[in-house]
Amino acid sequence: MAPPAQSQRSPSPSQPSGKSEVSDLKLQLRQLAGSRAPGVDDSKRELFKKVISYMTIGIDVSSLFGEMVMCSATSDIVLKKMCYLYVGNYAKVNPDLALLTINFLQRDCRDEDPMIRGLALRSLCSLRVANLVEYLVGPLGSGLKDSNSYVRMVAVMGVLKLYHISASTCIDADFPSILKHLMLHDSDTQVVANCLSALQEIWSAEASTSEEASREREALISKPFIYYLLNRIKEFCEWAQCLVLELVTKYVPSDSSEIFDIMNLLEDRLQHANGAVVLATIRVFLQLTLSMTDVHQQVYERIKAPLLTLVSSGSPEQSYAVLSHLHLLVMRAPYVFSSDYKHFYCQYNEPSYVKRLKLEMLTAVANESNTYEIVTELCEYAANVDIPIARESIRAVGKIALQQYDVNAIVDRLLQFLEMEKDYVTAEALVLVKDLLRKYPQWSHDCIAVVGNISSKNVQEPKAKAALIWMLGEYSQDMQDAPYVLESLVENWDEEHSAEVRLHLLTAMMKCFFKRPPETQSALGAALAAGIADFHQDVHDRALFYYRILRYNVSVAERVVNPPKQAVSVFADTQSSEIKDRIFDEFNSLSVLYQKPSYMFTDKEHRGPLEFADELGNLSIGEAANNVVPTQMVEENDKDLLLTTSEKEETKGSRNNGSAYSVPYDGSSTSVFASQTQIESAVSNPTLAGHSPQASFAIDDLLGLGIPAAPAVLSPPQLKLNTKAALDPSTFQQKWRQLPVALSQEISVSPQGVAALTAPQALLRHMQSHSIHCIASGGQSPNFKFFFFAQKFEESSNYLVECVINTSSAKAQVKIKADDQNTSQDFSTLFESALSKFGTS
Amino acid sequence: MLQCIFLLSDSGEVMLEKQLTGHRVDRSICDWFWDHVISQGDSFKSQPVIASPTHYLFQVVREGITFLACTQVEMPPLMGIEFLCRVSDVLSDYLGGLNEDVIKDNFVIVYELLDEMIDNGFPLTTEANILREMIAPPNIVSKVLSVVTGNSSNVSDTLPGATGSCIPWRAAEPKYANNEVYVDLVEEMDAVINRDGALVKCEVYGEVQVNSHLSGLPDLTLSFANPSILDDVRFHPCVRFRPWESHQVLSFVPPDGEFKLMSYRIKKLKSTPLYVKPQLTSDAGKCRVNVLVGIRNDPGKTIDSITLEFQLPPCILSADLNSNHGTVNILGNKICSWTIGRIPKDKTPSLSGTLLLETELERLHVFPTFRVGFRIMGVALSGLQIDKLDLKTAPSRLYKGFRALTRAGEFEVRS
Repeated sequence: MAPPAQSQRSPSPSQPSGKSEVSDLKLQLRQLAGSRAPGVDDSKRELFKKVISYMTIGIDVSSLFGEMVMCSATSDIVLKKMCYLYVGNYAKVNPDLALLTINFLQRDCRDEDPMIRGLALRSLCSLRVANLVEYLVGPLGSGLKDSNSYVRMVAVMGVLKLYHISASTCIDADFPSILKHLMLHDSDTQVVANCLSALQEIWSAEASTSEEASREREALISKPFIYYLLNRIKEFCEWAQCLVLELVTKYVPSDSSEIFDIMNLLEDRLQHANGAVVLATIRVFLQLTLSMTDVHQQVYERIKAPLLTLVSSGSPEQSYAVLSHLHLLVMRAPYVFSSDYKHFYCQYNEPSYVKRLKLEMLTAVANESNTYEIVTELCEYAANVDIPIARESIRAVGKIALQQYDVNAIVDRLLQFLEMEKDYVTAEALVLVKDLLRKYPQWSHDCIAVVGNISSKNVQEPKAKAALIWMLGEYSQDMQDAPYVLESLVENWDEEHSAEVRLHLLTAMMKCFFKRPPETQSALGAALAAGIADFHQDVHDRALFYYRILRYNVSVAERVVNPPKQAVSVFADTQSSEIKDRIFDEFNSLSVLYQKPSYMFTDKEHRGPLEFADELGNLSIGEAANNVVPTQMVEENDKDLLLTTSEKEETKGSRNNGSAYSVPYDGSSTSVFASQTQIESAVSNPTLAGHSPQASFAIDDLLGLGIPAAPAVLSPPQLKLNTKAALDPSTFQQKWRQLPVALSQEISVSPQGVAALTAPQALLRHMQSHSIHCIASGGQSPNFKFFFFAQKFEESSNYLVECVINTSSAKAQVKIKADDQNTSQDFSTLFESALSKFGTS
Repeated sequence: MLQCIFLLSDSGEVMLEKQLTGHRVDRSICDWFWDHVISQGDSFKSQPVIASPTHYLFQVVREGITFLACTQVEMPPLMGIEFLCRVSDVLSDYLGGLNEDVIKDNFVIVYELLDEMIDNGFPLTTEANILREMIAPPNIVSKVLSVVTGNSSNVSDTLPGATGSCIPWRAAEPKYANNEVYVDLVEEMDAVINRDGALVKCEVYGEVQVNSHLSGLPDLTLSFANPSILDDVRFHPCVRFRPWESHQVLSFVPPDGEFKLMSYRIKKLKSTPLYVKPQLTSDAGKCRVNVLVGIRNDPGKTIDSITLEFQLPPCILSADLNSNHGTVNILGNKICSWTIGRIPKDKTPSLSGTLLLETELERLHVFPTFRVGFRIMGVALSGLQIDKLDLKTAPSRLYKGFRALTRAGEFEVRS
């Protein structure tokens, strides 16, 4: 009945079907506009409905704007709603015409029906036209004071919308403080919740420029406010509860009794019908107990049942989201769930992404007592109609075997898979048998007997073929026909498309040759010849390498190609534990579903409203942006190693001239000098290796680079720091996220300091001597990044510092966070004086 | 927070678009989404949360309608999914079912509802009870009323009283001539029986559904005879937590109308009411099938609507299957469905026949899974029993009704 959907991107009149109707509608609307005849509302309603339906299916009806506004003078609420909807949709593209609507919307904002007041206010704020903001302030102000909570609720959201259109107007009208007052005093919880979400957004956006806003934002996670919300939590609607719970995760309780109070208060939220509330509560529990190992364990036990119920009760979409979270927890603490393995059995008509998660969980929870049953279950999936899942389940069986439970029985099952005569089952099983043999060489006898019966012609997948070839090479002394099977594979060299298989074939031929030379020699020759002629670079290189090493010395070749092997004890995990921890920190977010921490997929600007900038996790991943120097440095170093000392002197002198003329003072080249100096001093005096400020200072002076006078050493303030401070990284991370930035400043680093900073370690030692300890560092010249912490003497008050030093600009960006805000200035002075001494002492 | 909601028809057509924030989401995202769905084969296989190049998308599919929400910020995924589920529940409640036509006919109401359910991307009221007071459902009664009274607006003049009350789920003080309350126990049995006929897993997921038409502010207490068998429970927000904690009693002020009071889970049940014994033997390119179905454990009431369904493996060329009771159909997508109904007294229903395999195949390697359906009226198979339902300050005329029902959930028999 409706024309096909069209993208709204092209409002050009490219839709002949819609065009004539639109002009028709225009005419009819114009006729009705002035009419006061009875029943006119009904015909208007029909027309409006048509307009909206066109709008909905994507036909551009913005040309009717004028007529629609003319017709909007009505008392019919449905007509009004349709009109609001229309106006809201097109005001942005017709800012001039939107002015026309302001009048009737403002009038409606004073209507006696609270519903109409609210709706009009909502529409007014949804126009989002920048030059109309002046008309918003008045209605919003009275809306916030309205006697009806519905209008107040709408007005609060309106303030946030206004903020997004024009932040300055919103701040100038002092709306945030009105919202704050409402948040603390309004009787309606929905108004409170809306205030909370609006203020969170406004203050986070303002925090970077206004100290007051950042203080206010901190006040949101202060004890009195959090308790105010927690005590009323049951009055909030379920969605607002989620909001409150999210805020509570940011709160750091002062002691363990407080933690228990909060958990007791929230315990019944775990039985809420809304899954979002349950997950938000679980997150609070997990976060609160992070540092209390045994309680944390109990929390796992406690949340297990609600999570499992959520999985089985909701719609497939909900259970997937819950299952992803469960997956995360199972991976962290498999033993807690080991008795619930039956919940992870796959149902026949579950979508495969759910089955995949369940298979991983089954693998994780396997232990001595349940392995038999789990493996039995997994083996049933191997005959599954869904081939990818059948493959996954075979892989899962293999993984369980690698966990060392009940290996004996599992090997039998894997060998049964090999006899199932289904190509994909055979392929997966071969890969697994290979991995098993690498870990448990003692099973080789049983396995080889079965593998030997597999015809290589039935194995087509490269991975499986490579595995088979590897086994043929590795165990050629036990397999009667190994040389001949390999030989036939070599004969078909040209038909083998996978380079991986050809590489393995070369190696297997070599191994076979060492074990059974007479039978293999000719085939090896053929393989090497084919390999050397191969177009693939790696295959070619390996063949050539084998050929040459064989010519050089056969016994050396054997030592290289086929040394005695150690059984593999642990296979490397694909995902680093650091990433897993980070995902865990972002429990109840999309990260869990994507199995990636949010910094890997969201843009910074789009992160949540209370997300504090923390790049702690990024450090290890490396921040080598705009990093040109290292390569240059390596070159220089190479050169240095080849030159004699006198030559070095010369090059230094000449280059010094060059750089001195072109750039008066160039930090990056200084760091190169410094590295030279270091090498020099390391050569002359190995005990001084690492850092030699004296030498670098002397050279800097010698080169006459015009060092600016070292900044006057600041007198150390009264603050005393604990020399033996200790802080574990997870606490640091947690604190860093929760504390506000107390101070943020730029400190210039003395040239001596820059010169000494060739590697992060140099600065670490220096700062440690000033009782400032490093918790993480990284980066390469010219950008270094450090996270320091310090503790007040005889008090447990911590200072956390993020320090980014750019050696080419000789500047350090310092951000300080402190438990005790009052002393952060003192600490900052102390930090600055410590940093300024770097390289001079 | 959510930035936009789309409703798509089963052909991918955008039926409705609701922008929620200032960041306008272009409709082209739907084209991307639909291409993605098609590339996945069918919507069932597509994940509920996907990342498009520009947005993160939540999707919930109900009755062929796709509810699609877009966001660019990190947010609790269940909030998005739960909200969409609620939207679909409320809409089907309002429109008396969901399909393309009913949405297109009532899109103004859908807009109105969405307007009240979410503001600036943050969910507000999703209780159908409250919404019904703000926006009248498009039913026949209101149409008649509007003709009679001449008031054509479908919006009530008053604001819902509950928005200001401290019981957000209950509308202010309804009045009924007949006070009635019905309590239904509805259970679903999930079971897996493995190749050797052993019961691998058997558990019940149950709900207590209440339909209440009570005047004033009724305070109800519901107790079970054997609450200790419950493994885990979840409650409607109206249930008070303390009485349950201390003596497993449900004390609550109910919302008006139908609602789900509680859901529960009972694991490790020992037996199933039915047995299903499949036998497949194959050789020389043929597979003989024989399936027997019978009563294992008589629940005391009749078991009806018994069905058996299985997917024929893809390597089967043709199937010739017959039964001694009920009807056997082979559907287009190679699903064989056997409708048994009730088990006759005089014989055991059986399905038998042969499957012809593809030419190169000797034996069958992929075995079908049989999905069983049944329904038992009058019994909660978990054994949960309602003890009594009390009403504080009982009105003069009060009618209380109790029912129970068990049906098969994911009941699977592997062969």
